[in-house]
Amino acid sequence: MIRALPPFAAPLPPAAGKARRRARISITPLVDVVFILLIFFMLASSFLDWRMIELRAVARGQAPGVEGALLVDLRADGARLAGALLADAELERQVRERLARKPEQAVLLRPARGVDMQRTVAVLDRLAIAGVRELGLLPP
Amino acid sequence: MRPPFQRRRSRLDTDDGVLPLINVVFLLLIFFMLAGRLSSADPFEIAPPDSVSEGEPSETPSLILVAADGRMALDGEELPLERLVERLAPATEGGEARELRVKADGRVEASVVVDLLGRLDQAGIGKVMLLTLPPAGAG
Repeated sequence: MIRALPPFAAPLPPAAGKARRRARISITPLVDVVFILLIFFMLASSFLDWRMIELRAVARGQAPGVEGALLVDLRADGARLAGALLADAELERQVRERLARKPEQAVLLRPARGVDMQRTVAVLDRLAIAGVRELGLLPP
Repeated sequence: MRPPFQRRRSRLDTDDGVLPLINVVFLLLIFFMLAGRLSSADPFEIAPPDSVSEGEPSETPSLILVAADGRMALDGEELPLERLVERLAPATEGGEARELRVKADGRVEASVVVDLLGRLDQAGIGKVMLLTLPPAGAG
């Protein structure tokens, strides 16, 4: 009974070999799908290198944050520290000087109406580079 | 009549021709899958401000978008400021200070964002992170 089964290593008849060759899985549909996936991932994924700044708002009537803090007024024409209009580099230098005397000096930035976010972030960067750790934003 | 051996060889050759292409396409596919980050599209166009800060972005559950003209959206849904704060209020009743990310356009008035910060502070959200991009060319 067992001998009636053909052994596995038996050579296939020529016709069967031909049929198997014709039934080879074509890679074309696979490549199509892979191309579509590639285009999807190329269009849908983003490579933006996000960074973060912590923003702290100080309400107008909030005494503890404002008491003794250095106020930087940011208007359309430039940044003012204690009433004097300063260039960004000069502002950074003066804030650094004050921090050398009092390392825990809080600084409040008050952007006026008409000042855009990019400008505010640039000044926040300056202040952070100067070493300010207590940095708050005041509403105009 | 050519022997069948040779015919099979020539068909293999046509497959061999596209194999390097497929290899490259596969590599590109895997690169984009692993290196890119899928993100949902924003309801309006936002050009975030440049900053030299090095802060690594953290994943917080909520994201507020602020467009250049002051429109706001919470997690992709456009809402006016009042509704937005209302929507966030129940989530903050747990007691702990919550964190939130804000993606604001660089051209929006700073007072709009400061106003939003004040409202969020009242709603109990103490930590607000502003998303920025490194300046172009500093990559």
